[in-house]
Amino acid sequence: MSAALSLPPLADREPVLSVRSMTVEYEASRGGLWSKPSKVQALRDISFDIRPGETLGLVGESGSGKTTIGRAVLRRLDLADGRIFFRGRDITNVRGEELRKLRRHMQLVFQDPYASLNPRMRVLDIVAEPLIVYGIVKNADEARDEIGELMRLVGLPRDAHDRYPHAFSGGQRQRIGIARALALKPELIVADEPVSALDVSVRAQVVNLLQDLQKELGIAYLFIAHDLSVVRHISHRVAILHSGRLVEIADRDALYDNPQHPYTEALLSAVPVPDPRTQRARKRLIYRGDIPDVAHWPSGCHFHARCPLATERCSLQVPLLINKGEDHKVACWHR
Amino acid sequence: MDAISDMPLLEVERLCVEFDTRAGVVHGLRGVDLSIRRGETLAIVGESGSGKSVTAQAVMGLIDVPGRIVSGDIKWKGQSLLTGDGPKRAREIRGKEVSLIFQDPMTSLNPLLTVGAQIAEVLQRHLGMTKTQARTRVLELLEAVGIPAPPRRANQYPHELSGGMRQRIMIAMAIACEPQLLIADEPTTALDVTIQAQVLELIAGLQETLNLSVILITHDLGVVAGLCRRVAVMYAGRIVEMGLADDLFERPSHPYTQGLIRSTPRLDDRMNRLIAIEGSPPSLLSPPVGCSFRARCPIAVERCTEQPPLAVVHPGASAACWRPSVPAWQESPPLEAALT
Ligand SMILES: Nc1ncnc2c1ncn2[C@@H]1O[C@H](COP(=O)(O)OP(=O)(O)OP(=O)(O)O)[C@@H](O)[C@H]1O
Ligand SMILES: Nc1ncnc2c1ncn2[C@@H]1O[C@H](COP(=O)(O)OP(=O)(O)O)[C@@H](O)[C@H]1O
Ligand code: SF4
Ligand code: SF4
Ligand SMILES: [Mg+2]
Ligand SMILES: [Mg+2]
Repeated sequence: MSAALSLPPLADREPVLSVRSMTVEYEASRGGLWSKPSKVQALRDISFDIRPGETLGLVGESGSGKTTIGRAVLRRLDLADGRIFFRGRDITNVRGEELRKLRRHMQLVFQDPYASLNPRMRVLDIVAEPLIVYGIVKNADEARDEIGELMRLVGLPRDAHDRYPHAFSGGQRQRIGIARALALKPELIVADEPVSALDVSVRAQVVNLLQDLQKELGIAYLFIAHDLSVVRHISHRVAILHSGRLVEIADRDALYDNPQHPYTEALLSAVPVPDPRTQRARKRLIYRGDIPDVAHWPSGCHFHARCPLATERCSLQVPLLINKGEDHKVACWHR
Repeated sequence: MDAISDMPLLEVERLCVEFDTRAGVVHGLRGVDLSIRRGETLAIVGESGSGKSVTAQAVMGLIDVPGRIVSGDIKWKGQSLLTGDGPKRAREIRGKEVSLIFQDPMTSLNPLLTVGAQIAEVLQRHLGMTKTQARTRVLELLEAVGIPAPPRRANQYPHELSGGMRQRIMIAMAIACEPQLLIADEPTTALDVTIQAQVLELIAGLQETLNLSVILITHDLGVVAGLCRRVAVMYAGRIVEMGLADDLFERPSHPYTQGLIRSTPRLDDRMNRLIAIEGSPPSLLSPPVGCSFRARCPIAVERCTEQPPLAVVHPGASAACWRPSVPAWQESPPLEAALT
């Protein structure tokens, strides 16, 4: 059973998800009782594609808007501007029953395997819930065989069925969350920092599992993380988000071996490599200053206050994300 | 100043710490031995629950009910801090000669005081400075930890600062009394990677200029590699391997260390499937008999039901394992990177 094998080469596949010029705004917290509610722009002009069986790694520092992208893609947030297409169909404004049907095909795996599972439900009920909600089975016991198969897929013991979440370790809980996300056979999984809360030795179990499932089922992942090493390991393509804007998007190796945007360079050089000799020899670019905050995005390129290449133009005009090489897009005036 | 001297500054000997909980006694530390000399950098690595923070807290005298030190000793410059008039000396030393920074600076900063006032308070309390003296010194300290515009920042409250800046404030407070030993418990875990790099660079710089001894606690092998000369690996309340960083990363002896290194993806790595250490660490409510890693160890043998001592494997490296340096994990196959 290898769905992936029957697919054409990655580059020739029609995208399962396309995002075009997406802008998302949040209500800003009000200054005073009488002040007009104002808006902050959490994401601005975001565009990317994900193809079937592909993993797009989405990297950015805290507050850059990664989770917001995930929520918008899953239609849990409305767009201020732009369009989202799922399998070629415009889903930007679908609502109600249509949205419910759509959600079957797009699932979410959360960061925190402790908070995301209901402690009072048996594992069987947790994993079966989506099947019941979508009327595929009437009750959990009817789904026992199917869920047994899911348990096997994610590497949980069969007797896990009747136990409660507290009886499982963090890594096992994350497997339960993944089994639940897989129950409806989605084509796209948004995984929002799925391994960040796990210990190093357990992280590898879940990373390997996600890779195996992709190979077996041909699922596409939007893999959100701030750990660039994990992202390099799991992604086919990588997008770098900085303060609400995509600054670079490219094939994994192109991005890591030949980063173009000054922020990507800084980010990559800041990641410590677990090997003392290599780490000592690495070129490190440590730029002073903090990451800008959503309520105070600067004008022009959001990176200009920290960027060593910045010129006056950078603080006035926003650079667009454009192709600088084959399928390698960069948003920078000077690269 | 002298570089690394021979006399150990801090020695922890066979330290055992237990916590009474509703579920029973948690054996948090089960015989921890370590020592650090002046000017030395030691990393303690291990996953959550392995006992890293408890070790730091014990040294800082912060183990409180429901916890207790049940046996072992902690020595500062050769003298016990637990027996005789040790506890009295300990109170004088802590916060002054030894200081601690935590993962989350918010929990240790007072939200109602400006950061300048908080640093000044430390200076007045421990060094008996006057208000004016302290004020000048605060600005110098803020400068030293790389905070821009010190006079303005000194008058701000913790919530007005970013996480990276708060951590710098904590570091300024920790070095205020010119300590000899700085213990940093996951100081960058809550920070973004570019900010982490700034803070680690700061700690490394201070370590050198002040000839500080640093114990850096982390679960991130990358952070260790950048900063520390020696490494102790903890697992289930014990140190399972100890050695020089260069050596330990190149030829880890303990199966757990071997697995840990190969389960960590590397930014600069070719794509091999990660080694997954199956299972998870044991509960410290009823720790297993013998080697704690036995249930997850691919090369366990009969003898592993006895606890292996931390013994020298080769010069500068010791491990608590009956079969040290035996390759425990098979070569992992390369990943077929793209699906094409
Ligand atoms: N409901 C909301 N109302 C107002 N602002 C919000 C809301 N949710 C998020 N934001 C803001 O939007 C920005 C992006 O947030 P988001 O959660 O997407 O970031 P993230 O990249 O996922 O960060 P992290 O790495 O911390 O998870 C942040 O500045 C955040 O404060
Ligand atoms: N106050 C406490 N009460 C009960 N158990 C505790 C307490 N503090 C720590 N422990 C236990 O001691 C062990 C070591 O904890 P800790 O040192 O915090 O681990 P880490 O290596 O993550 O810092 C864990 O099993 C933990 O649950
Ligand atoms: S546009 Fe200017 S400020 Fe922005 S990254 Fe490029 S050079 Fe730096
Ligand atoms: S003592 Fe035995 S079980 Fe423990 S790590 Fe060594 S070989 Fe494995
Ligand atoms: Mg997030
Ligand atoms: Mg800890």
